[in-house]
Amino acid sequence: MHGSVLEERRFLWLPLLMLITIFQLLSALSAVFADGKFNLIPAAVMGGYITAEWIYFILYKAVVKKPAGAADFIAFFFSGISIVICANISDSFAVKQAVAIALGLVAYIALLLVIRNPEWAMILRVPVAIGAVGLLIANIALAKVINGALNWIDIGGYSLQPSELVKIAFVFVGAITMDKLQSAGSLTKYLIFSVTCVGILFLMRDFGTALIFFFTFIVIAFMRSGDIRSLFFVLAGALLGAALVLYFRPYVAERFTTYRHVWENINEGGFQQTRVLIYMASGGLFGLGIGQGQLRGIFAASTDLVFGVLCEEWGLLLGVFVLITYGLLTVYAIRAARRASSAYYSIAAVAAAGMMLFQVSLNVFGITDLLPLTGVTLPFISRGGTSMISSWALLAFIKAAALYRYEEAASDGEKLRGGAGL
Amino acid sequence: MNKTAKRAYTLFALVIAFFIGVAILLASLYINGGTWASNRVNRHIYSSGRIMSAGSIYTADGIVLAKSKEGKRVYAENKTLRLAALHAIGDDAGFIATGIHSVYRQELSGYSFVNGVYLLKAYDKGSDIHLTLNSKACKTAYNAMGNYKGTVGVYNYKTGEILCMVSSPSFDINNKPRNMKTGEGEKYEGVYLNRFLSGLYTPGSIIKVLTASAAIENNPNIYYETYECKGVLQTSTGTVSCPSVHGKVNFEKALNKSCNTAFAQIAIEMGKEKLSAEAEALGFNNNLSANRLNIQKSVWNLSAANERDLGWAAIGQYNTLVNPCHMLTLMGCIANGGQGVAPYLVDRIVTPAKVVTQRGPQAKNAAIVMDAAKAEKLAELMRSDVKNEYGDYSFPGLEMCGKTGTAEVGDGKAPHAWFVGFCRREDMPFAVVVILENAGSGYKNAVPVANKVLQTLKPR
Repeated sequence: MHGSVLEERRFLWLPLLMLITIFQLLSALSAVFADGKFNLIPAAVMGGYITAEWIYFILYKAVVKKPAGAADFIAFFFSGISIVICANISDSFAVKQAVAIALGLVAYIALLLVIRNPEWAMILRVPVAIGAVGLLIANIALAKVINGALNWIDIGGYSLQPSELVKIAFVFVGAITMDKLQSAGSLTKYLIFSVTCVGILFLMRDFGTALIFFFTFIVIAFMRSGDIRSLFFVLAGALLGAALVLYFRPYVAERFTTYRHVWENINEGGFQQTRVLIYMASGGLFGLGIGQGQLRGIFAASTDLVFGVLCEEWGLLLGVFVLITYGLLTVYAIRAARRASSAYYSIAAVAAAGMMLFQVSLNVFGITDLLPLTGVTLPFISRGGTSMISSWALLAFIKAAALYRYEEAASDGEKLRGGAGL
Repeated sequence: MNKTAKRAYTLFALVIAFFIGVAILLASLYINGGTWASNRVNRHIYSSGRIMSAGSIYTADGIVLAKSKEGKRVYAENKTLRLAALHAIGDDAGFIATGIHSVYRQELSGYSFVNGVYLLKAYDKGSDIHLTLNSKACKTAYNAMGNYKGTVGVYNYKTGEILCMVSSPSFDINNKPRNMKTGEGEKYEGVYLNRFLSGLYTPGSIIKVLTASAAIENNPNIYYETYECKGVLQTSTGTVSCPSVHGKVNFEKALNKSCNTAFAQIAIEMGKEKLSAEAEALGFNNNLSANRLNIQKSVWNLSAANERDLGWAAIGQYNTLVNPCHMLTLMGCIANGGQGVAPYLVDRIVTPAKVVTQRGPQAKNAAIVMDAAKAEKLAELMRSDVKNEYGDYSFPGLEMCGKTGTAEVGDGKAPHAWFVGFCRREDMPFAVVVILENAGSGYKNAVPVANKVLQTLKPR
């Protein structure tokens, strides 16, 4: 009886995949035929990417017996954009980005398998939390300063941004702790874990990521308790803490002095933001053509400022479409959370989606001076290995809520409507 | 379980906040995009702050003053025209703030919200700007000014079109002198200033037009008054001198002869309040504009003036400073029956898609207004100046009205030579202003320049 009610709405996955493929092929032409000649490496990378994409979706259908869902399409769509942007800068960027996507996909599937049974997460929570804090401490010890923040470490020639990986642990641990251990003790432990993470990020002067963690903590704490009043106290405490930091460490505030004054500091603190605004405007609705922009010449163009590059070269329309897609991914997560078979999935999906959209906001509104510039990446699209892996891994929490649904916890008799596809 | 799941909906607050942010971003991009895109650091348009890609600028007679070709800015072929039009179009780096390159840089970039600067990038095409300037008049003016610094302006007082606007010193933008700031500093002093729009000068006798206007306004019997000129006027606080002993003169004769004694007396009898009121009414201390181009405010301040100072103010040798474009607009006001139309330089702006986005002046109201009857009387007086004093032979076939000025500037330097006036010919509704710095007599130096320029504008 349930079967008919729970039948997936017919999902037009094949036409959608074709549409995305056409988009990717067209955009790839810019790199493949840059400078009027055929370039083998971009062709190979994008060819390989599109092939892998098709294999993934076909295998998914075969293994899961259902077409893949919105999360998968969105992730592949965004990642494809990031490869093309990288390929238009250099071949090695494109190759590295493709490898990062592959690693991200592995992390995505692995995480989905691990949390298929929330008990596994329960068992792993302590080692993961300790590992995460260890990573951050190692980061401080080995850090090199990049662009004012200490959030990079070098391992054998590869730069690693540990805070990106800790994001995954933060959601992984946060959701399970709250779900399974409702005692005051577990709350205290999670609080200590959160404060440690945010504190170390502050020491690393990575305020953007610290803010993202803090926001995610609020989301998780609310999902767990539903207690607005205690959240209010947490917020008040955080504000007090921030005020103390500003009082004792005034240089922190200096990083934000150009906020809303970028045009007066066009060649100093407002350099990046003004360039983003100038070139976003220059691009118009349809863009100047992939690879034809000027923002690409500015520092951090393919990482923090990638949304500006997207608007200048691919057009404002596509930029806005990407933003809408981020919003829709969050809506999708919220709806999936409603029907997830375990509170762990609900909390994790909402936390991961909130974390991601909050980061998108900090990035996009930061580089356009609507918010202070904090130097965080745009999930899935910014160039950077750890950022890409963490984006895919966070997506696993959203996907899990959609994949492991009530209907699979067969004992529950609650009637459910089929919503958007998986 | 259900409770936890329901709490998920609170995340919609973030989604809503996010989309509000996106809306604000789009709105500010829509509103400010043109300003942002035309910023000097935009490398699609500028290279190291120098304009490279932009729309073309034409004279009214269709001659290219500036255009972009393969990412380079090219200027008028004729060297004299490049020199004469420099201040109108502006240099390539934006030092001439009133130049088209600066004021209209958004239009020149061809920016639109839909296309951004795509047309500029793909086809070197921004919006083209067609000026009201007449290339021949500008070249003639530049040559006629010789080595003097100063400016010549001519405009159509019925429509407001600026036909001639030349400021000197100038330089050849194709061959920019290296020593402008050092070495030959004197020669290029104020080279980035468009003296027509931004200059301020001691007016000398051309201010007598204002004093006369105040007299007509305040004294109905002015035409029956006579004044005794002994070459010097004693006031309660000192003397006002006159270069000649004119004897007994009436109002008209006083203006013809430019008699200082008579005009000082007129002002002292009238009082400084009335003279100041007239000055304010005729645009002094007011923010006038040549449509989108800003004009430096003329300065009038008699608050600390005693009787002698008032006498000197009436003949333009106190603290008053006038702007040439303001003087031209004032001439236009007198010539056009009291309706002083604001000058304009941009005739039309044409987008790359050949759509005309702007045509003619933007300002709808007259910049300076006076009573039509008074304007007619002033025009007759100024016609009488030319007929009886400067001679119609100085302006063959122009039916000229005008007033000269020879403004003492002290420091042992030669006075500034002025001429302001207008043609009364129906087919030549042109007002003119000429100032040549330290050139000496206005009659000897400025009048011939005005005539030469106006002759080029005679219909054939």
